[in-house]
Amino acid sequence: MCYNEVSVMSFIYDLNLNYGGAGVFEVLSSIFKYILMTVIYLFIYAVIRLIYLDIRSVNAQGKGAGKNTPYLKLINRRENLNFKVEETYGLEGNIVIGRSDKNDIFIKDPYISGTHARFTQREDQFFLEDLGSTNGTLINGEQIGSRPVSLKDGDKIHIGQLDFLFVKKSK
Amino acid sequence: MLKLLGLKQPVVLIVLTDIIAFILLYYYKKPADHYILLTGLLVISLIITTYFIIVKRRLGDEYLFLIVSMLVSMGFAMIYRLDKYMGSRQVVWFAAGIILFFLSYTFFLKIKILEKLMLYYIVVSVLLFGATLVLGQSIKGSTNWIFIGGYSFQPSEVIKIIFVFTLACFFKRSDQVIFGSIRLGFEKLGRLYRLAFMSVSFMFMGFLVLQREWGTTLLLFLIYISLLYVLDNNTVFFLINTAAAAAGGVAGALFVNHIKVRIDIWLNPWADIAGKGYQVTQSLFAMGSGGFFGTGIGMGRPDLIPEAGTDFIFAAICEEMGIFGGAAVVLLYFILTYRGIKIALSVKDVFIKTVALGLTCMFGFQTFIIIGGVIKLIPLTGITLPFISYGGSSLTTSFIALGILQAISQISSEGERSEEIAGE
Amino acid sequence: MRENKRIIHVLVAICLLFFALIAYLTYFEVFIKGDILSNSYNRRLWQREEEVTRGRIYDCSGVLLADSVKTGSKPERIYPYGRLYSHVIGYNSITYGKALLEAAFNDYLLDIKGRNSIFKFKDRLDERKEYGYDLHLTIDHRLQELARELIGSRNGAVVAMNPKTGEILAMVSKPDFDPNNKSLNQKWEDLVESEDHPFLPRATQGLYTPGSTFKTVVSAAAIENGMKDIKFEDKGTVTIDGKKIRNTNGKAYGTIDLTRALAVSSNVAFSQIGVKLGNEGLHSLAERIGMGKEIPFDIHVNKSRFPYGEMGKTDMAAVGMGQGKMLVTPLHMAMLTSSIANKGVMMKPILVRYTANREGLREKEWKPSRLYYTMSSLTAYRLRKMMEEVVKNGTGKNAAIKGISVAGKTGTAENELTADSKDKQHAWFIAFAPADDPEIAVAVVLEYSGSTGGKLAAPIARDIIKDWLAR
Repeated sequence: MCYNEVSVMSFIYDLNLNYGGAGVFEVLSSIFKYILMTVIYLFIYAVIRLIYLDIRSVNAQGKGAGKNTPYLKLINRRENLNFKVEETYGLEGNIVIGRSDKNDIFIKDPYISGTHARFTQREDQFFLEDLGSTNGTLINGEQIGSRPVSLKDGDKIHIGQLDFLFVKKSK
Repeated sequence: MLKLLGLKQPVVLIVLTDIIAFILLYYYKKPADHYILLTGLLVISLIITTYFIIVKRRLGDEYLFLIVSMLVSMGFAMIYRLDKYMGSRQVVWFAAGIILFFLSYTFFLKIKILEKLMLYYIVVSVLLFGATLVLGQSIKGSTNWIFIGGYSFQPSEVIKIIFVFTLACFFKRSDQVIFGSIRLGFEKLGRLYRLAFMSVSFMFMGFLVLQREWGTTLLLFLIYISLLYVLDNNTVFFLINTAAAAAGGVAGALFVNHIKVRIDIWLNPWADIAGKGYQVTQSLFAMGSGGFFGTGIGMGRPDLIPEAGTDFIFAAICEEMGIFGGAAVVLLYFILTYRGIKIALSVKDVFIKTVALGLTCMFGFQTFIIIGGVIKLIPLTGITLPFISYGGSSLTTSFIALGILQAISQISSEGERSEEIAGE
Repeated sequence: MRENKRIIHVLVAICLLFFALIAYLTYFEVFIKGDILSNSYNRRLWQREEEVTRGRIYDCSGVLLADSVKTGSKPERIYPYGRLYSHVIGYNSITYGKALLEAAFNDYLLDIKGRNSIFKFKDRLDERKEYGYDLHLTIDHRLQELARELIGSRNGAVVAMNPKTGEILAMVSKPDFDPNNKSLNQKWEDLVESEDHPFLPRATQGLYTPGSTFKTVVSAAAIENGMKDIKFEDKGTVTIDGKKIRNTNGKAYGTIDLTRALAVSSNVAFSQIGVKLGNEGLHSLAERIGMGKEIPFDIHVNKSRFPYGEMGKTDMAAVGMGQGKMLVTPLHMAMLTSSIANKGVMMKPILVRYTANREGLREKEWKPSRLYYTMSSLTAYRLRKMMEEVVKNGTGKNAAIKGISVAGKTGTAENELTADSKDKQHAWFIAFAPADDPEIAVAVVLEYSGSTGGKLAAPIARDIIKDWLAR
């Protein structure tokens, strides 16, 4: 890394000495103005994207804001984690959980696979199935497969480094 | 591919922007100025350090500082290009701003009685106004500067923030501290409450009118009316205020010569290109010369624009970074405003909510007023573009306001967490 | 919470404000900026002048017409022939801006495109001596001088062009002015306020009633509408729609055919032809010859006007004679004349032949190109024969040259002043020669001359043609 930086710098310094003057600068400026604009707009895009993803995950969590919807409650201490994760995630309908942004719930835990597991809802019952994850999904310490396993209130779910409590209040 | 280069991370993009800008600046003037590269390094380190402090220590919203640093970087590029010394001074103010940012953050979180200090706010403001009127020097038509030992300082910048706090106190209606344990309760005012509210607010604006700071007056009014709209339920009162302001505005336009002149040159600056219309027309020439991508940094003539480093810096940006550059600036301010509003939405306490909303409105409206004036969408007024314009007072007070906003974002996310733990 | 809803309203309001900013920026960039950038207070225009030596301007044979000299750091534009080219080249002044060719070809003269092109960065790295491109005009300096001498102290214009290529050989407008900076700075106020309007380039922007010269194209229309063998009983006057129309001096010509009618410029005959052509025929004629159309040229040309809707008989009669509300520029008339000379093909007028760098290497060339057909080549042939007759036996005798067959037409145009006072007509003459293989076409107009085209304008055309053909 350092070596590359040094050689780039000396190249630039060299350019300045040998050609000097307005010529180099104009060329640089004319080319860079396009690059600069691209970088700035990439930045704006990146920020907007991150904000949008934030909102989406809040909504996914917020969906479960109703009093009777089941939710996942994080057991780990957030301060010990390097990545962003919410305290609760509401569950409604089909929810895919994984590391990729494309999921309904995404958590940037390196031990969580791209698409890790899926929650499904049938009438009043919730089920969990593993989607072929590298490190597996555990319910109450037992690894589950691709066959959906039904969940009951108080079940402990282990995904990646995280432990969740499945909370479902009865009516 | 983008992921590999880390280009999805905004922080990396800002660093890249600064690298490009500072390389260009390095080559810009002969002989090549090595100090510029050092300064560039300093700026980049400041940005990276502050950003990581905010993220790692979970100090609230991470986007606020990101957006502001991009704005500041674009400002640096232009200011340095215009004048090396102006540029280095701006960097110093930037560093000071960051310190103040953290200070005001801590201050706002720790000190709880801010909502009770309204009378102090008013007294301080009046003293500042008084000092300006007495000691102040008139520069470019408005009496707004105080010189202390070689440094100039604009009290109106600080007063904007105090104004927001004052209004917030009014809406919160806590008992106000007078001295020691003597309190002033809002119930005592009874029906005079509204009257007091209006008088205090218009007093602030009145002082600015006396100083001929039309821009700041308009800004305060917009903040005032927005807060009124959101927090007050009395439609009649709202209408009375709007009408009063409209009347004042019209009267000003008709009778006050300075305002009449401003409106004339807004409508047709070409009539007096060499005289009163000079600033606006030079600004328009600059904007037109850039095209969509700009002429490239150092390739245009923003030095021909009067006040290019301060009020008209947006025109300089449009000349050398193009219309796309100008649009990028507007977009960035928009995202900043959006974040501020989101923060305001997410807190429950009226005082804090109002402060957040007020400061966000301050950033948003101020940006609109100055950019609008520079591009001739609305009449020109003399206020700065926050974070971009050169100026110690402007930059530092903007960072103080940002620190407060940051603190409020922290309060809001803590509040969320405590909600979750309590379980619905 | 109710407040939260309203906070969103505030957000929307601010969003709209920001959107207005971006919208206005875009609107400005697309629509407004073009108009204001050339304002002389925009000092960016002059930055280039200081970095680059402005290109020279030459006539077709290499005579230097404009040069740039650096006095100290400030560049100065020198026009060795001063007034002669004031309405062709224009001027280049820091205070007053740029005009005509200096303005239209500014990008070439300062090589602005070269500067900004990324592809030329290798040149820029070398930081070579900076020159703009030189312009080489189609104008022939000797002819230009002669034309101006011939107009003398009168006001008006002379346009001479090559009918086959469209090249402008001479273009003189009077009154003129001295475009050198010193003189311009001294005399600006007077020039601007003068009632003579010396800044108006008559050749390209002066609008005049064409008068009897228009009868040429009316004849063409008549021929193409089956009237080539028409005959008239010319008793000196005729009444159309209650109005009496007279020949010049009321002269009666007896029984005349189309050729004779043109030769003597019979108002009686042509007013009736106008009525016979009718509304459609005349509008179609106007369309074909380019009335109201933009003329593409190196400098701005005013559009000729044919401001008629549904025409009454009086209008048709007037148009038939070349009077009425029509207005044409001298350049347009020269182009029309050229099209008759060129078998009905109107060529695009060219003023700048090519640009070249200091070493003489041509950078860009403008080749002759066709604009449109004003008439069929057979009609053009017939009309040519008629115009030869005008010079041989008609009103254009003053344009005759020994040994050369000249085709022409006189014109004496009534205008807004002739209603009240005598001797204010415009005197026109159009001509081309040699008639069977034309090398030059000329249009001459003398404003408010107080005489006929045959008397005053024809000799000017004759001398120009004579000089050109003698070379």
